[in-house]
Amino acid sequence: MQQSFRQSMTWLHTWFGLVLGYVLMVAFFFGALSVFDREIDRWATPHTRFEPRPMPSYDAMLAPIFKQIVPEAHELDEARSRVGTLAPTLPVMNWAAYTTHRDPVLRLFAEFAITNNPNDPDDHVHGTLTIDPRNGTVLPHDQLKIGSEFFYPLHFSLHLEWKQLGYWIVALAALVMMAALVSGVVMHRRILRELFTFRPHKHTRRSVLDLHNLTGVVALPFHFVFALSGLTIFAGIYLPVSETMFKPQAQAHAMAEAKTKGVAFRPAGVAAPLASVDAMVVEAKRRWDARGMPGEVGFLVVNHVGDVNSYVSIYRAGSDRVALVGQAVHFDGPSGRVVHEEPPPSAVAGVNEFLTGLHLQHFKHWLLRWFYVLGGLLGCVCIATGFLFFVEKRKRMHASTGVSGARWVDALAVTAVSGMVLAALSMLVVNRVLPADLAGRADWEKGAFWAAWVLALLHALWRSAPVQQARIAPAWREQCWAVVLLAVSAVLLNWITTGDHLLATLGRAYWPVAGFDLALLVSAGLAAFAALHLRRRERQARAQPLAEPVDEPTTTSAAPEAVRA
Amino acid sequence: MSALHVTSRVAASLLGGYAFVWGFVTLCIALGLEWGAPYDDARKLAQLLAFLVFLACFCWAFAAASVARVWLVLAGGGALMTGVAWWLPRAPA
Repeated sequence: MQQSFRQSMTWLHTWFGLVLGYVLMVAFFFGALSVFDREIDRWATPHTRFEPRPMPSYDAMLAPIFKQIVPEAHELDEARSRVGTLAPTLPVMNWAAYTTHRDPVLRLFAEFAITNNPNDPDDHVHGTLTIDPRNGTVLPHDQLKIGSEFFYPLHFSLHLEWKQLGYWIVALAALVMMAALVSGVVMHRRILRELFTFRPHKHTRRSVLDLHNLTGVVALPFHFVFALSGLTIFAGIYLPVSETMFKPQAQAHAMAEAKTKGVAFRPAGVAAPLASVDAMVVEAKRRWDARGMPGEVGFLVVNHVGDVNSYVSIYRAGSDRVALVGQAVHFDGPSGRVVHEEPPPSAVAGVNEFLTGLHLQHFKHWLLRWFYVLGGLLGCVCIATGFLFFVEKRKRMHASTGVSGARWVDALAVTAVSGMVLAALSMLVVNRVLPADLAGRADWEKGAFWAAWVLALLHALWRSAPVQQARIAPAWREQCWAVVLLAVSAVLLNWITTGDHLLATLGRAYWPVAGFDLALLVSAGLAAFAALHLRRRERQARAQPLAEPVDEPTTTSAAPEAVRA
Repeated sequence: MSALHVTSRVAASLLGGYAFVWGFVTLCIALGLEWGAPYDDARKLAQLLAFLVFLACFCWAFAAASVARVWLVLAGGGALMTGVAWWLPRAPA
């Protein structure tokens, strides 16, 4: 639709990048935080600050606790809206326990059958519990795990659950991310030079573009693979072929697979007790050992609970490899004998497992984990500098013609960059201030997050007026100071409310909390540096109002079209 | 470049692109089943490639000269592939 291929790619890069960039900031930033979601959980739930441990005994501890799980109230309400009235107690379909090498607490899950839905014989609702595996105590439901239950789902669903709208918006953003990388490469051509070009002392527009290109190129493979694997992980949502056009084939496949495994696809309706699951775990571990990959249990499922057709699936934790969990051994429930040991995956399934594991990183490798954080934050820098370049390129023209576009983009960029950090920090501060036993505590924390973000938006809209005169918005500097204030407060409040100050946590090498406190202090330092730098720039601009930098001819990195577009 | 043209181009890139990818995925699965691949393998392979195909469709939708051709190829091609994919498992052997 433009004269040249390059120009059409520039158009795509500019406008889709602008519109979906705000979503991408959320996906990248909270994705980076999710790399350490379990550690953030420990920071936010101080009573769980103890060492991770392997899956506890099913027979002695888990079996009675599973019976306490009840369906989630909101899922029951939704189910009632689907089928009318529900039976007073719903039959349990399966129980599952899931842990990783970073989990001190254990999550238990249950699925309950909705037996009176003629449209969907597999209709069901979920229930969950978290326990302290040292003694089997059930932990309070209202203690929000801010890392794994709020930041992590925000990364892929935006917490917009209605019709899974958030998933679709993030998917669109991921597609645009890949297209932005392709079109960015087309626009700039000199890929190798971008890697080594950063001129911070040139005028803002030049250095911002340098940084945009540098971060885009240096982390290009990371960004491309993560956008792509994020899409393939939820491919079942985006391309629901098994529920629509190929439903018969999908069902037939699942049944045939159950048959080759020798496990029952459906319960028989005849009650039967379960053999010792601990003995099954011992046998599963023996088999993994025999295959040369000793390991711990990552995921344990009891299917068709209480039925004569029940079977137990025990999956190995993927702490020592990229692929997630696997090497399942399936046991017959009533007899406890092995019915099937899963062979290595097929080539396609292997690639799929690898991509999924690569994205979800359950392996035990702390340095690599930090590289993930770095990759995610480089993505944030790349997107944020994209916004800034958009504003820098247009603000003088918009100022002289009275157009407010640059101001709006700048205000939204403030909201998406420092405003987002402020929202996350406000949540952490509120988490440390609220009494531990307050009813609806989780809702207050979530409310604080969204309220802080809305306030940041209002502040950014108000304090971006100088952009209209082609100046720097004071909103940036002021929100940077707010970040400093809140990040330091969070560290201090953690100390005051739990006694875990940095010397204590570093002294006993308790890295989940020490590491997060340090990350907060580093963030505060960076924000203070940025605020001071911005103040200097604002003063310079005020001192010489007419000495606007004249654009030099764009002979280097940026393609001429990119600048004129 | 009129607003209508831009809207049509963006709609073609996303809706047309989705239709094309749906056709691609279902056709891959139908052909895979035809050639005796297990359903899950056929589905996973198609879904692994799906978003790369979408990326190519999306970029091409903006690079192509004629927006009518973009609609024709993406939506028309998608419908055609979906039709074949629907028909293949039902075809008399």
